[in-house]
Formats: sequence, C-alpha cells, structure tokens
Amino acid sequence: MKRSLTSILGLAAALVFPASAALAQAPAAPAAKEVIVWHAYRAEEKTAFEKVVAEYNKAAAGKGIKVTTLAVPYDAFADKISAAVPRGKGPDIFIYAQDRLGGWIAAGNTVEPIDFYLDKATKDRYIPTTLEAMTYRKQIFGLPLNYKVITLIYNKKLVTAPPKTSKELVKLAKSLTNKSAGRFGLAYAYSDFYYHACLMNGFGGGVFDAEFKPTLNRKENVKSLDLLLKWIDKEEILPAEPSSALITSLFNEGKAAMVFSGPWFLGEIAKGVDYGLAMLPTLNEADDKPMRPWMTVEGVYVAAPSKNKEAAFDFVKYVTDKPAGVIMALEGRQTPANKFVYEDSKVGADSILKAFRQQVDVAIPMPNLPEMTMVWSPATTAMNSIVKKSAKPKAAMAQAQQSVEKDIAGLRKK
Amino acid sequence: MKDKAGHDELPHLPLHIFLIIFVLIATYPILWVVTIALSGKQSLALATLPDRIAVTEERLVQNIPGLNDEEATAIVEALENAKWIDERGILTLKPERDKVAPLLPAELSKYAEPLHKDLMVCLAEPSTLDRLRAITPWPETFSLENFRAVFRDQPFGRWIINSAVIATATTILGVFLACTAGYAFSRFSFPGRRAGLMSFLVSQMFPGTLMLVPLYIIVVQWLQLGSSRIGLTLIYATTSIPFCVWMLKGYFDTIPKELEEAALIDGASPGVIFWRIVLPLAKPAVAVTALFSFMTGWNEFIQAATFMDKEELYTAPVGLRFFVGGFSQQWGYFSAGAIIVSIPIVILFLFLQKYLVSGLTAGSVKG
Amino acid sequence: MESGSPSHRLRFGIGIGAGAAVAILLGHFLLGGALSNLAEQRETRQGIVTLRALSDLVSRTADGDGLRKAVTEFQKAYPELKSIRVVLLEGASLEASTDPADTGEWAAPRQLSRDEKKNEKPVFDLMQKIRGTVEANREEKTAKEELEIGRLADGSGFSLAGPLEKNGEVTGLVEIKRSSAAAATRPGWITTLLYIAVPILLLVGLSFGVGNKQIPLAICAAVLLIGTIWGYGVQSRSKINREGLAASDAVASTAKTGGERVQSILQGLGIQAEPALNPASWDSDLARRPRAVLTPDLKVDPAKAMSAFAGVGTAVTRATILLIILGVAIALFFGMGWAELFARTLRVHRTAYYYVTPAMVGMIILVFFPFAYGITLSFTDYNIYTTGKPLTEIFNGFQNYVEILTDFQIAKRSADGSWAFNYYNFYWTFFFTIVWTISNVTIGVTLGLILALVLNTKTLALKPIYRVLLVLPWAVPNYITALVWRGMFHQQYGVVNQAIQMFGGSPVSWSDTPFTSFLTALATNGWLSFPFMMVVSLGALQSIPADLYEAARVDGATRWQQFTSITLPSLKPALVPAIILSVVWTFNMFNIIYLVTAGQPAGSTEILITQAYKFAFEKYRYGYAAAYSTVIFGILLVYGVFQNRITKASEGI
Repeated sequence: MKRSLTSILGLAAALVFPASAALAQAPAAPAAKEVIVWHAYRAEEKTAFEKVVAEYNKAAAGKGIKVTTLAVPYDAFADKISAAVPRGKGPDIFIYAQDRLGGWIAAGNTVEPIDFYLDKATKDRYIPTTLEAMTYRKQIFGLPLNYKVITLIYNKKLVTAPPKTSKELVKLAKSLTNKSAGRFGLAYAYSDFYYHACLMNGFGGGVFDAEFKPTLNRKENVKSLDLLLKWIDKEEILPAEPSSALITSLFNEGKAAMVFSGPWFLGEIAKGVDYGLAMLPTLNEADDKPMRPWMTVEGVYVAAPSKNKEAAFDFVKYVTDKPAGVIMALEGRQTPANKFVYEDSKVGADSILKAFRQQVDVAIPMPNLPEMTMVWSPATTAMNSIVKKSAKPKAAMAQAQQSVEKDIAGLRKK
Repeated sequence: MKDKAGHDELPHLPLHIFLIIFVLIATYPILWVVTIALSGKQSLALATLPDRIAVTEERLVQNIPGLNDEEATAIVEALENAKWIDERGILTLKPERDKVAPLLPAELSKYAEPLHKDLMVCLAEPSTLDRLRAITPWPETFSLENFRAVFRDQPFGRWIINSAVIATATTILGVFLACTAGYAFSRFSFPGRRAGLMSFLVSQMFPGTLMLVPLYIIVVQWLQLGSSRIGLTLIYATTSIPFCVWMLKGYFDTIPKELEEAALIDGASPGVIFWRIVLPLAKPAVAVTALFSFMTGWNEFIQAATFMDKEELYTAPVGLRFFVGGFSQQWGYFSAGAIIVSIPIVILFLFLQKYLVSGLTAGSVKG
Repeated sequence: MESGSPSHRLRFGIGIGAGAAVAILLGHFLLGGALSNLAEQRETRQGIVTLRALSDLVSRTADGDGLRKAVTEFQKAYPELKSIRVVLLEGASLEASTDPADTGEWAAPRQLSRDEKKNEKPVFDLMQKIRGTVEANREEKTAKEELEIGRLADGSGFSLAGPLEKNGEVTGLVEIKRSSAAAATRPGWITTLLYIAVPILLLVGLSFGVGNKQIPLAICAAVLLIGTIWGYGVQSRSKINREGLAASDAVASTAKTGGERVQSILQGLGIQAEPALNPASWDSDLARRPRAVLTPDLKVDPAKAMSAFAGVGTAVTRATILLIILGVAIALFFGMGWAELFARTLRVHRTAYYYVTPAMVGMIILVFFPFAYGITLSFTDYNIYTTGKPLTEIFNGFQNYVEILTDFQIAKRSADGSWAFNYYNFYWTFFFTIVWTISNVTIGVTLGLILALVLNTKTLALKPIYRVLLVLPWAVPNYITALVWRGMFHQQYGVVNQAIQMFGGSPVSWSDTPFTSFLTALATNGWLSFPFMMVVSLGALQSIPADLYEAARVDGATRWQQFTSITLPSLKPALVPAIILSVVWTFNMFNIIYLVTAGQPAGSTEILITQAYKFAFEKYRYGYAAAYSTVIFGILLVYGVFQNRITKASEGI
C-alpha cells in the first residue's frame, strides 16, 4: 500500500511541475497584436460570441490583429477585473453590465474613455438609452453590446390576450389564481428591488435624482409599493416568497400564467410550454403611464492599461456593429443594442426579439454610479419588511433612504 | 456482549437505528440534488403538491346521477369557456355555489347542485400521501441529459483533472509541511514554539474574503505565479496548513515518547525516528489532514477563478459556477456537476478510511 | 552575565554604533527625501502660478488668431517652458501650440490626431476628465483636483494641465511642459557622519567613568542616542522650514513677474484687463483653491507660510521618535547581549527550526503579508475615490475603529415616528455572531462526537458504509446544498412545511422573524459541519489505547465514567484545536449566511464578516472594511488566547 501511495504522489508531482513549466513558456511568443477579451457568456451566447470573434479574426488578419477570448464565471468576474486590470495584468477588452461601471471609473486605471474614437455615425447606431448607460459624467466609457429588460411573458394556453393595462392585468390574473392549489395568475420576484423597479419607474420614481443624491423615499416610490401591496393582499394574485427558482418552476408547471422577467428566463422555460411575450402593461394607477423596467446593458470596455487600444477599439466597434449583432441575436438569443440589427429581415421576423425591442423603448438604464451598490442592501431590507408587513412602505423607504445617505456620506467624507 | 478483544459494547440494534436516522438526515438534501440532476430539468426542486383531481366527462357521468355523456361534454365545455378549469380539466378557482347554475346551459341547470358538490371534491385538501410524495426526492422523469450537458458544453473533464492535480499537490505539500512542523511543535521545546503555534491559529482569524487583492499582488505581481498551478497549490497549501499542523501536533502529543527514546538509544537519527516510527503511528491524523487538505484545494472557487487566466487551467468549481452566475441559472447542470465532483472525494474517503481507523490500538505498539 | 563573553563596554560600543548609524542614516535619507520633495513642490507651485497666469490670459482672448498670438507671446516671456498647448473641447481641436512637434502639417489649429505616432487621445481624455472634475466640484461642493500634473517621460521636467474656462464654462484645456531647473539641496554627509561618531566617542569617554557595568552603560547609551537623534531631528526641521519659506518667496516673485508679463501681453493685444488680474490667487493647490500664503500685493504672509508647514513639523517629530526607538532598540539588542543569545538559540534548536521554517515561510508570504496590508489599510480612509493616493495621505488614525466601536445606535426612529430595532448596529451583529458561533459549534461537535463514538464500536456491522454516507454533506459542494436547504424552508413549497402539515401542524414563515431565520441557517450549517467533526473525532479516538478501558473496567468504572475519565481527556489534544478552529471558521462563515438568510429579516442575521464584506464591496470603503476585519481578528485573538489558557492546548506534553 505504501508503495502505491508514493507512486501516486510521484505521479501527481510529475503532473504539476512540468505541465505548469510548459504553460508558463507558452505566452512568450505572442502574435503581432493580440487582443484578449474577457466575457461571462455561456452556452449559446458564448458560441455566438465566439463565432463573431472568429469572423473578425478572419476579416482583421490583414491588420495583424488577433482576438482571443476567455470566459470567466459571472460570480467571479467583477472581482477578477478589480484585481487584475488596474495592475496591468488583465485583458484588453472586457464585457460586463453597466452597474459596476461607475465603480471602476472611480477606482481608476480600469476602463478607458472612448469619446475620442467615436464619431457621430457610430454613436447613432445604438438605441439611445443603451449608450446613455455607458456614459458616466458626460464621458462615454464603452459601447453597448446587448441589453436586458424585463417584459411580460405569458403561458399561451392560459392567456389568450395579454393585458394592456394594470386593471386588465389584475382582472385576468385574478381569474387564473387559485391560491390553495398553488396557482397564480401573475408571478414575479416582486420582493427583489430590481424587479420592483418596473413599477417604481412606472410611477416616475427612482433611486437617484439628477444631482446623484439618493431619493429612495420619494412619494412615487411609496405609491408604487402601495400598488404592489394591493396586488399581494387585496387582489391576491401573487405567490409568497417569490424566489426566481420558484417563479421558473411555477411557470414551467403551468401554475403561473404570467411572469415579469427578462431574456434569461426564456432559457429556463421547459420544452413544451407555449409562451408569448408582450409589453408590460400601462398603469391605470399612474395616469396610464407604462411600467418602465430597469435595463441592464452589457458594455464592451477597453481596459485602461491595454497596450493595443486602437486595435482593441477596432474590435469593440466591430462587435457592436450590425452583422455581429445579427449573429448574436439569432444564434446567441441576445438582444443587441445596435438598432440597425432589428432591420434585418430574420431578426425583424422574430417575435421575441421584437418584443424586447419594443419594451426597451420605455426602459430606463439602471444607474451606473458607484453609489448604486449601496442601494441594493437597504432596498432589499425595505422590500422584505414591506412584503412581510413588518413596516409600512413609507417608513421602510425612509429607513432605507437614511441608510443609503449615511453610507454615501461615509464614502464621500472629503 | 464482549468481542474478542474484550470490549463490552452497547447493543447494536439501537445503534443501527440511530445511525440510519442520521444517514437519512445527512443524505436527504443530497438526494434532492440527485433528483434535480436526474430530472433533466433546470429548476431547483420544490415540494409541489399534485394537481387537483381533473374534472372529466367520465367522472361527471359517474358521480352525477342521471347525467349522460353529451350533457357531461356540454358541462365540461361550459366550465372551460368560463375559465373555471384549464386545458387539463383542473379547477383553477374555487367554485362558488351561486355561480355554478348561471354558468350552465339552461337545460342543464338542474345539475348545478350535484355538480358543485363534485367540484368541491375535486378541490379537496391534499392528502398525507400527496404530501409524502411531495417531500420524497424522486424525479418525475429520469434523464441523464444534465450529466451529458456538463461535459458537452465545456472541457469539464479537463477541469476535473486540473482540480485533481492541484488538490493532490496541495495535499502532498500541505501534509508534508504540516507533519514536519507539527512534529517539531510536539517534540521539541524551543524558543518561539508557543508563538509559532499560536501564529498558525491566528492566521485563520483574519477574514479571508477581503484579502483577494493583496494576495493577487503577492502571487501574480511579486511571485509571478499567475495562471500557474504551482501558485494555486501554494495558496491552498497555506490555507490548509494551520489546521493540519494543530491536528498533527495534537495527535503526536498522544504518541508515547518512550518509543522514540528507545530508538534513539539504538542509534536512530531524528529523521529516521520521525519517518519510521512516529509517522506510521499517526496514520489516523494524517488521513484526516490529507482529506482536509484535499477538500481545501478541491472545492475552492474564487481564487481559482481570479488567478487563472486560461480556460484550460480552470478547475472544476470554476466550471460549475458557469452554470449559475448572473441572471440565468441552470440548476440541473449544476447539480449534475456537483455530483460528479463529489465522487472523487468519496473515493478518496473510501481509500483513507482504513487509515483513519487504524491507530495505536493496532497491536505492535503496546508499551 | 556569563564569564567569557565580550565585555559590556565592547558590546555597548558596537550597539551604540549600530544604533546611531542606522537611525541617523535613515534620518539622512528621510531628510534628503523631504528636501527634494520640497524642491519639487516649489517647482510645482511655480508651475501652477505660470499655468494659471496663462489660462487667465488665454481666457481673456478670443479664440483663433488672438489666442495663438497670446500663447506665442507668453512662450517668449517664459523660456523655462518647453511648450504650451491649448486644446478646445469643441471639435477636439488643438487651437494653439508652441511644441516643436506641432509644426508643418501638424501646425495648430487642427483636430487632435488618432495617428499612431502622435496618439493625442490622452490629451483629449485629460480635457474630458478635468471638465468632469470641475463640474463635479461645482455641483457637489467637493474639492477634487482640477489640475493634472505629470512627469515628462525623459525626466527633464513636468507637465501641468488645467481647465480653460469662459463665462464659467469649461471650454478646453491649457497644458504647459516645464523643465526642472533647480536641484534640491542635499543634506551634508559631514554633518551626518559627525552625528554618528559623536555618541560613540562620548560613550567611550563615559565608560571610563562608569566602568564595565551593564545597567549604567545601557542608560548612558540610551540617553546619548536620544539626545543625538533628537538633535538631528531639530536640525532637519529647521532646515525644512528654511527651504519652505524660501519656496514661498520664489513663488511670490514668480507671481509678481507673471502678473506684469500677462498685463503687458494683454496691452500688446489691445485687451483691457477687466476684471483686474489677481496674481496672488494664482498660487493655489491642485484643486485650484488659493493657498492664501500671498497677500494681494504679492508679499509672503510669514504666519500663513509657516502654518503650511505644521504638518511637515509633526511628521518630522513623529519620524524622530520612531528613529529614537529604533536606535535605542538596536543599541540594547547588541549591548545587552541579546544578539548573541539570539544567535545561540538559533544554533542550539536548529533541528526544530528546520522542521518549522518551510511551513512558516509560506504562511508569512501568503497569509501574514496580506494580513499586514489589511491592518495597515484599517488606519486609512482608503475607498474607491482615494485608490490612487499614497496611504500616508489618507491616514486617519483610529477613526475607523472609533466609528465602528461607538456605533451604539440600537434603535432607529423611522419617518412616522415609531422606533425600530436597528439590527445593523455593531453590537447586535456581534451578539448574533456569538450566538451563531456557539450554537453551530455545539451542534457540530456534539453530533460529530456522538457519531464518531458510535462508529468506533468495534464489532458494529456496516461501519464503512455509514461512514461514507455520513461524510457526504462535506463532500458535495455547499453552494448547491445550502440553496437546497433554503428551498426546503420555503413557506409554501418547502419540504419542511409540507412535513409539518403532514402531521397536522400549520406552516411556518421561516424567513419572517430573526429567530426562525436563524434556525434555517443553523440547520444548514449544522448539517454541513458535523461530518468534519466526526472525521476528526474518529481519528482522535484511535489514539486511545484499548488497555486503558480494560483497566478501568477492572476497577469497576461505569460506561459514563469511562467516557469522562478516559475518552474525553484522551481526545483533548486533537479535538481542542479542531474546536478552536471551527469556532474561528464559523465566526467567519460568510457563505452560509449569504446564501441562506442573506442577513434578512432587516439585517438581524448578519454576522460580522458579512457586514465587513458589505462595507468593502457594496459601500466601497476598503479602509473601514479592513478596520472591521481587524476588529473581528481582535475578537478572535482574545478568544484564542483565552481558550488556549484554559485548555493549555499549546502546552504540549
């Protein structure tokens, strides 16, 4: 036994050391201009993205640019960027949602501003709000690749005509709800602040004002919460403790007729469930204004310490152009920010892509301020206590506002 | 009861019962993981109750006296049109007595009363058996699709090998360094012994979650060990050493010194004494530390994801997290992957457990 | 001390020599650094005055030829400027330039170029950045740096850039490159060597009076060193002050000539200086706040100029004290014979050190270095907005600790006047962390130990199978099992509530109250942690020789007596460290809380580590989070020492 143990040890040691020595030598001879891209895509999104990269490499071979990609798990992405990029060890380009953008800009030496490269024609390619998401204090730091918005997804077997207004929604949902059987007309992760934002923004509420001051306690926000409570308690159309896993299961089992969710949800719908997409309804309670979901935009950023910025930008421009967008839309099932993509005949004929394209017109870019990360935790606490009835909306939001103000004061002391 | 060695033992039956109960508790959540993995679906498991009894023509004919087939069809149609029941015949809302009659075609309204009664039956509370089924981790349909998908979409096999290599190297390095250090702390008395021993303990006290950036600076910038298995091995080994040192030191303390003294008189060198006499006696503790070190290297995610810049160098936990990050979450794949990565641990434990339970009592060492 | 060792005189001679040499040499280099810093500062200040004179001039001219003419004239008046560039935001155009590279096809005015060799993107980005900062400062009443300073690549000077403003709007960027002229005064080597030699000679002299006695020699050496180093400190300080005042004089004259030159250029262009120029305001910091050292008639206000050096003064004092401590420590190290003792110890116990060193080196590099870094950060206001700054600049002493430990806000008044318990309060979190730790470790250890004892029954069948099945919770990645546990506690669809209803109970909303929420996390973590304790206990049980039990039985001990008098004491050496460590790990068990309760409801189930994490990654206050971590560390350290004292775990045999 002892012998076998030592032989295992020897084998393992032999595997570790020469292997890593060989790998350490590998990057010694790089191609003319290697541009490295980090992204967090997976499955068909990754396949489509890699296809775009391959096409670019073919097209740009003459320029001597070669793009290589690295997929990084989403959960580690932001930490990895924050650790590697400012120390010059990171990629030339990375792709991530705009919510961390402000933080990286404030931290410095992470994201390269790109106004200098941009002409009007390029700026005009994008849905304006998606470019707005890439803008921080009037400077543009990346180009928008794809956006994600929440919309109304319904089970076609249970819902024939999706509701256009909140009154219709409630009426329809009520007729489809049977609480004791665990069936609900409507299900969404309403206690998640991100999801609640559809209602909040619909009422004209928001998290920050124009001067970047937190405004969690504004009265529009409170009104939107009152409506949510009405939906839960009086109309009884929503399930309790709505985690995203629960929503998926309910919808797949035909126990939730309608959900508010985004493109990620479509991948989780089981085979055989016939679903349709529609605009989120307008709110009769808020002068018939539409519900306005938050939009997250995946931006393509050039890393500030990159040595090949021009080459990197060349790729950034390519990947946010129409042909690349069409591939990502049709094969990666993503929703590109380039508005010309939707003029493509195949994309235009795709009802799902069309639905998201419509929804995005009323969507609001999620704030990209560094201070945004301070909002989540107090907002979640507030949402939970409101939903669990341990606090009234007004008091809970005031509490959250206080807490965010305190945190911001702590950060901006100087 | 007395066995050969003369132990008197507790009666075995209650012990078995106790152990079985505990095994059930220990494995129950894992059975859910297995269920999710084998379901072929992606959602986290839920204890869902079965649907209500379906309202079908046959049922109505059987339960409502005097009803014929055509009438039953008409009733079901009426119920469907009114959205009382869904396409499967399942009641979606609570039938109210006074609303049943207007729903039906005039000629059938005489059946309103018995129909309401029957609808109420269809809406009965779930039975204990239903609930039992709901809490039994057993997939409705079996499919190995999740397991296939784990290997299909990405080089998961390669990542498992990486993990195995790194975890094995961590184990060897960690256990070796901990053995020598633990032995010194146990047997020698030297200035700084207490402080040294305490410093190993202290090293576990500073919260590690916030140390990623300084560690990055040291490993990647100073030691130039980014994207290297050696770097990751070193990090994991230092993570596991403190526990290993303390565990081994504690165990060495229980090994009688007389054995070594005798060997010393026979002229054996300290090295020989350590390797030939002390270490074989400490097998149980070495087994524990080996398992611990291996686990440290095997399941770690964030450092592996941060320090490795090449896809072919990722480890299994990094690969697993691809399934659940961000907005979309494929729990089926994740569960399948989690089961796959648990298997080597179980095998390792099977291999180590005979050392784990071999000790001073093994015979040769009396005295 | 012992006979045969060298005399105390010799030892103290070496000691004071080494102490004085190290301390004074360090002082020498520090002074050198401070002086060259001052010289640099002085040039920067002069540069700022020049830049602001230029921006003042340019902003009074009309764009186009008038602007270019003014720039050319200004360049003529300032030979020390290598170049001047004026860039306008509109059209990203280079409006004027005296840079030799900007001639011919590159002559101004033209658009900024993307040409690879030129690469003028940094200038454009700088302009944008400065515009952003000026606007932010105006809107948010902050004072961030509006002027940007940079070293020239060839080391011959520095560049300074600032905003060009018209009618209160930032319209562009003015940049100058200025050569460095004056070399800093260096501290003299003769003085330094004298400061080192004097205490040695004095000690030699004194030793004849005192004799070869240890304590009096030690006192003499210490006093001499304190005196010498303090003297060096005082001298350094006065030197720094002199240089500082001279700098202000130089700046005053730069401002004065600058005012005259700008005035004459304006006259040449036929522009009225309206409102009048105010050269005194040009002497500003990088946020363009006036330093107020110059009076309006461009005289130096000595009191103000001196007060600008107050910070330097305390820094010198602080450095002097540290140097004294260092010097005296070195002197005593040698003088008291500790050096020899140290070397001898290393020699005598070298086997032990050989055995321990490899593990220790790894720990020092990969664990204690990051540690030290964290503790250092805890004394600063390091946050996302101060990442680029040197740590000395954002040092804030114990402020973070005070803020953490004086968080006594147990209750909060909400908007409608009602009071709510503030679970985010440090002391609640601390209390909860203790409850969490104790309950978890108790459950883990008890279950683990009981199972190990049962599984240690010699003739029990199926033991290997039980062991493997029971170790499973440890083997499966806890990311998924923790979430399965959370799902099991779902109010409507959770297994737990279904089971409760099976037996006729009514469902519980587990996440509604702090207590039930705590129970869910406790169940999860207890389930996750007992296998580890079981394995450790199993291993430890093997160290108990069977004959002990036999002897006890012969003496007629009951099973319980055997357990308490044989099993428990024999388990102690291996089990106590495992318990201490699992207390430490549970105390910092981030994952489970994060995944299972996420701190809800209302933050009541946050533990200290999840709070620290929030301060770092949600609130971007790295320094504060580091202080939080250090507090956690302190608490655990106290526990560790205390526990160790009780159980004597590190005492050994």
